[in-house]
Amino acid sequence: MDGSIGISNLEKVYGEGTERTKAIDDLSFDIDGGEFVSVVGPSGCGKSTLLYIIAGFLDITDGTVSVDGTPIDGPGTDRGVVFQDYALFPWRTVKENVLYGLEEAGVPDEEADATAQRFIDMMDLSGFENKYPKELSGGMKQRVALARTLAYDPKILLMDEPFGALDQPLRETLQDQLIDIWGDLDKTVVFITHDVEEAVYLSERVMIMTRHPGTKKTVTEVDLDRSGPREDIVTSDEFTRKKNEVWRSLREETKSEVQP
Amino acid sequence: MATNELWTPERIPDPFAGVAKLLFDWIPLLLLVLGWEVVSGRAVSESVLPPPTAVAAATVDLFATGEVVPHLAVSLLRVGVGLSLSIVVGVLLGIGMSQSEAVENFFDVFLSLIYPLPKTALVPLALLWLGIGTKTAVLIVFLACLLPIVMNANNAAENVDRNLIRSARMMGTSDRRLFWKVVIPATIPEILTGIRQAIPFAFISLISAELIASEQGMGRLIRDAGSLGRYPAMFATIVIISAVAYTAVYGFEQVRERVLVWT
Repeated sequence: MDGSIGISNLEKVYGEGTERTKAIDDLSFDIDGGEFVSVVGPSGCGKSTLLYIIAGFLDITDGTVSVDGTPIDGPGTDRGVVFQDYALFPWRTVKENVLYGLEEAGVPDEEADATAQRFIDMMDLSGFENKYPKELSGGMKQRVALARTLAYDPKILLMDEPFGALDQPLRETLQDQLIDIWGDLDKTVVFITHDVEEAVYLSERVMIMTRHPGTKKTVTEVDLDRSGPREDIVTSDEFTRKKNEVWRSLREETKSEVQP
Repeated sequence: MATNELWTPERIPDPFAGVAKLLFDWIPLLLLVLGWEVVSGRAVSESVLPPPTAVAAATVDLFATGEVVPHLAVSLLRVGVGLSLSIVVGVLLGIGMSQSEAVENFFDVFLSLIYPLPKTALVPLALLWLGIGTKTAVLIVFLACLLPIVMNANNAAENVDRNLIRSARMMGTSDRRLFWKVVIPATIPEILTGIRQAIPFAFISLISAELIASEQGMGRLIRDAGSLGRYPAMFATIVIISAVAYTAVYGFEQVRERVLVWT
């Protein structure tokens, strides 16, 4: 079980009769275990729909979506979702939020406590264990959400524009933290974003989706050495070239929106 | 880096903070009492409007002779039982309606019908069914408190953040446990708001019921004192029940704030 995702001939239709809208049409895409893939596309292209299908929140109309070869049947602890709006339990402290998945898995108290503390420390949240979410900034909330998801050790991280609500410096800090986590913990990551630079900076492959209905348009492979500092990565030729490639492909889609 | 991210609310200095604010808040009432004292016996006959000093004396007297004690005890019991019943039934109904369409459809029509009805209009009917006394008063208090509690609980349970539910399910929470782990805690703030709204209704309906359909209780005492021309005692009873209702609301708000440290 390595956290691979297989999507073949996926079709998703919302509504019925005259209300019918096809959100995703004939999408096939395979993601290897341990791979970091970003999905970009114009708004309304169904990229969040795709993520929620992999999460098991939405039923599919046709095709198959499987994790490690087994078709998805609802949400499950093999996957973890990080939402843009954090979705922290407001009545739980930072520590209690991070403990949630471990409690539900029936991990003994002492072990759960140690695990939660490890991820709290990893996300630079030490000293904030007993704060409630309302006392935290957006960046800290998102780090709590990440710690909460990592703590119960899902193989796959599904991230829905997780840094979209944060300002640029904070976003960069969290991006670098995410790269470190991905390198250390061996997770498959599916990352939804509309930020081309973010997608290229983070991922091994970037899938660009068409709009209405959404399907795979192009896939760009990004071969970057991410062990160095950010300034080396963003000034590299590969980064610039791939950023332009993705941007151009996305640009075509956005243009077709203006001139149907 | 982490520390300066911590959100701190802006603090606007309040010129009337603390004791000064407390005094300031009570000035209108103080003025009213002073005006009343001046008017009584001068512009208006003392027998119709006894001065606050006489009311204060009558209040002390009601406690000293022990006359008010059984009435107050009975009234508090009725409010307590009626309100408690409405909390239990209201919370179950409000959340139940959010979870099941059948439950919602079944109760919706009743709730819509009794919502605009003044619950005190049901006192004669309750009297006919349950007779004079505690049962009638409890029923009226229960009905008066039920609606705000049902409405708030239902509204909150229907609007639980969808992503909280999704997160919990992703982390392995079953549908059954979801209710206790997410729906209930997410709904608590509004349940407490509903109870807070219900407390004044409880006292209003209690006194209304007791004025008509009771041989005991503060409402009955008001009526008896009034019909016997004991106006200072009548005013004193009103003052006592008002003070009790005020304390109940104030006390509940203190508890609520303590429970909801996370909001």
